Amino acid sequence: MAVRSETAYPVGWKNGRVASWLVTVDHKRIGILYIATSILWFVAAGILALLMRSQLATPGETFLTKNSYNEVLTMHGTTMIFLVVVPIVAGFANFLVPLMIGASDMAFPRLNALSYWLYLLGGIVLWLSWFAKGGAAHSGWWSYPTLSENFPWASPGHGQDYWILSLHILTLSSLLGAINFIVTILNMRAPGMTWMRMPLFIWAIVTYAILLLLALPALSAAITLLLLDRTVGTHFFIPSQGGSLVLYQHMFWFFGHPEVYIMVLPVFGMVSEILPVFSRKPIFGYKAVAFSTLAIAFFSMLVWAHHMFTTGLPVGLDSFFMISSMVIAVPTGIKIFNWLATTWRGNLILDTAMLFTLGFIALFTIGGLSGIFLAAFPVDWQLNNSYYIVAHFHYVAFGGIVFGLFGGFYYWWPKMFGRMLDERLGKWNFWLMFVGFNLTFMPQHMLGLLGMARWVYTYHQGGLWEAYNLASSIGSGITALGVAVFVANVWRTNFLRKGVRAGNDPWLADTLEWYTTSPPPPHNFDSVPYVTSARPLRDLRRRLAEQPQ
Amino acid sequence: MRRKLPTLAFAVLVALATAGVAAAGNGGFAPVTPASPNATHIQHAYYLILGFTVAIFILVESLLVIFIVKYRSRGRPRTVEGAQVHGHTRLELIWTVFPVVILAIIAAFVFYELPNIDSAPAAAEPIHITVEGHQYYWQYDYPNGARSIGTLHAPVGAVVDLKVVSPDVIHSWWIPALGGKIQAIPGRTNHTWFQATKAGSYDGQCAQLCGVFHASMLATVQAGSQRQYRHYLATWQDTIGKQIWNGVCATCHGNLGQGGYGPAIANNSLLIQPNALHGIVHNGFTGTQGAMPPVGDTWTKAEFDALAAYVKKNIYKATPAGATSGG
Repeated sequence: MAVRSETAYPVGWKNGRVASWLVTVDHKRIGILYIATSILWFVAAGILALLMRSQLATPGETFLTKNSYNEVLTMHGTTMIFLVVVPIVAGFANFLVPLMIGASDMAFPRLNALSYWLYLLGGIVLWLSWFAKGGAAHSGWWSYPTLSENFPWASPGHGQDYWILSLHILTLSSLLGAINFIVTILNMRAPGMTWMRMPLFIWAIVTYAILLLLALPALSAAITLLLLDRTVGTHFFIPSQGGSLVLYQHMFWFFGHPEVYIMVLPVFGMVSEILPVFSRKPIFGYKAVAFSTLAIAFFSMLVWAHHMFTTGLPVGLDSFFMISSMVIAVPTGIKIFNWLATTWRGNLILDTAMLFTLGFIALFTIGGLSGIFLAAFPVDWQLNNSYYIVAHFHYVAFGGIVFGLFGGFYYWWPKMFGRMLDERLGKWNFWLMFVGFNLTFMPQHMLGLLGMARWVYTYHQGGLWEAYNLASSIGSGITALGVAVFVANVWRTNFLRKGVRAGNDPWLADTLEWYTTSPPPPHNFDSVPYVTSARPLRDLRRRLAEQPQ
Repeated sequence: MRRKLPTLAFAVLVALATAGVAAAGNGGFAPVTPASPNATHIQHAYYLILGFTVAIFILVESLLVIFIVKYRSRGRPRTVEGAQVHGHTRLELIWTVFPVVILAIIAAFVFYELPNIDSAPAAAEPIHITVEGHQYYWQYDYPNGARSIGTLHAPVGAVVDLKVVSPDVIHSWWIPALGGKIQAIPGRTNHTWFQATKAGSYDGQCAQLCGVFHASMLATVQAGSQRQYRHYLATWQDTIGKQIWNGVCATCHGNLGQGGYGPAIANNSLLIQPNALHGIVHNGFTGTQGAMPPVGDTWTKAEFDALAAYVKKNIYKATPAGATSGG
């Protein structure tokens, strides 16, 4: 809201253009801070990816090798997961949860601000570790010991210590945020908004928050033990002195697999919001979509060791984790078919938000299907830690999550800033990213099947290896162009102020955030209508249409 | 015409994919051509899953394209609503149960193939070889005490039981044509096996990030006749010095000791002082230019002697006049 009254901000300096953002406890501003910061890190970690693809474009390159390459791959993964996807979801959730449930703010606004500032601090700690003694961490985002231990031939110096410190700070930030979301959603919903009338995005966020609470402590424990090993001479993960490396793998993946769903469930929620609005239909099977979210979350706690099929676990354990991993495909399939059915007999408005959402369905399906190969553990013995895995999880994390998030940008941008992102640039953004993404990651499936291992900074085979790698590198450049178009679009809309002004409800949407102005005033709503279904705004439009003039 | 478009597009895609497979052997559409029963049976499971997933892929993506083409707004305003369908219990049950059936078939097939993948043929008398992953080379110990570096020698047709270990960090043993991966984990002993079905040289590489030279940690299995195998076991000491230099030292110090990631050592007089060389190779070394791992902590005296003899003869070049020693 551009107009601020003296009573709302009684102290003069707090009204400053910058200061007002520094001291804000408004969930909308905190949400925007989260999203803006995440976008910056998305660009930074994307540049790291381009560096890696440049190195791998042809065999025997010497552009970025050895330790530098390992630092870059570690920072790319860690940044994308902990500084981009998880916080950007927190940003969307911050902005949207109170608006969607008709509340005036989060339950604990100051705690909310603390979450954001901890996130920023954690990110700064991680990125300053480039300058640490011995360089940044270079043992991959899993940081498996003993490679991450403080041995001269493993991870000496302080990069790994800063990595641990950063993750501790980020974990604290996420835990505080999770508690805040749960309390807000449980207690502050608008009158009439029962569980079965909650927007599906809210279902996703409450599930995301619960998963964070359950999964993150395992990570904290694992990296605390690692830190103790590195600094005070314990041997939790030093086998020659009785430690166990398999223990770390279990602890890490007990967190690591739910983490995948922590990242993807909120995006499922966004898709379930955007798709019906642009199909001019209700979601197909609201209950199935809502409950499949819970089912996925439950089973996501039971599949972690499918990341450990090559560890040499007993076949009985491998079998259990194969079956549990296959079980999780069922609720995921339910979602995909329900989304497809949502478009059936609709009036599909193919705006950019919708294109990204449909792109999400197309690409996430591929990521899901390639996962079935990996669940079958003997097949995983072939594919594990090859480039096939890299392709698989990028189809989930980029083709799925990032495309969904871009759909979210285009859909909610007018609500956040009062101006629409440009549709023409939007289409360029989508098609460049769609083509570039597939060109980057589809050939990586083949590379993995040909025998190219992950994490290598070079290879010496020509022929198909070279062709697929070159295609992949060219694709990464096209993807980067797509992202550049997005940045230009944001620049044009927000800074050149050329974006078309949005009214309250430019998309004729279904949920309460579109009931207030764009952007909303600090207190969000003057009044909230009584909620009688999962689509309160459509109900309102119909009531208005029925009223005699 | 408009409705034929998606069908046409998919026909073209399928044709392209098929042509690709035909043109390039498997071209990266399936794991590399198997040369061992376990890899063959993994391949079977792979193809079964590929069949189902390609079918589901075509179903989902073509429905998506068809719906987009058919139900796109075509200029209809946003105010026009689509059919207000809230769900259909029977349909939803179908697409819940159907995947369950498919997954059950896949799981059943995996269990059916598993015995052939997981365990070696029972009748055969296996050769036991220990594979030791090491920063940044693979070392093999044969039943008679012979040893090799980088290249594993095995007779065609024999079942080879591999004991996979590591003294330093986690590595992962992977020769795609001869089966799946297994991690070499410090403090743990893992097992895998292969039975080369025809003679040849099978390449692979370490599949777990193990440090600076993870990319250089290549492995080869050389499957030859029984005679060639026995010949190697009898003569391994003749070549072990060279194998160690090429497979271990040269990774960091260059083929001729000219330097690379590690310092140049060709002129270093340490190379002709066997005791000092033994110390540094056995214990590792932390100096101003970084750390050298204890690459030789599991080598025998015979191997050190062979290495010392090899570097003295082939690598060491006396310091040029006027230069200082100790590179």
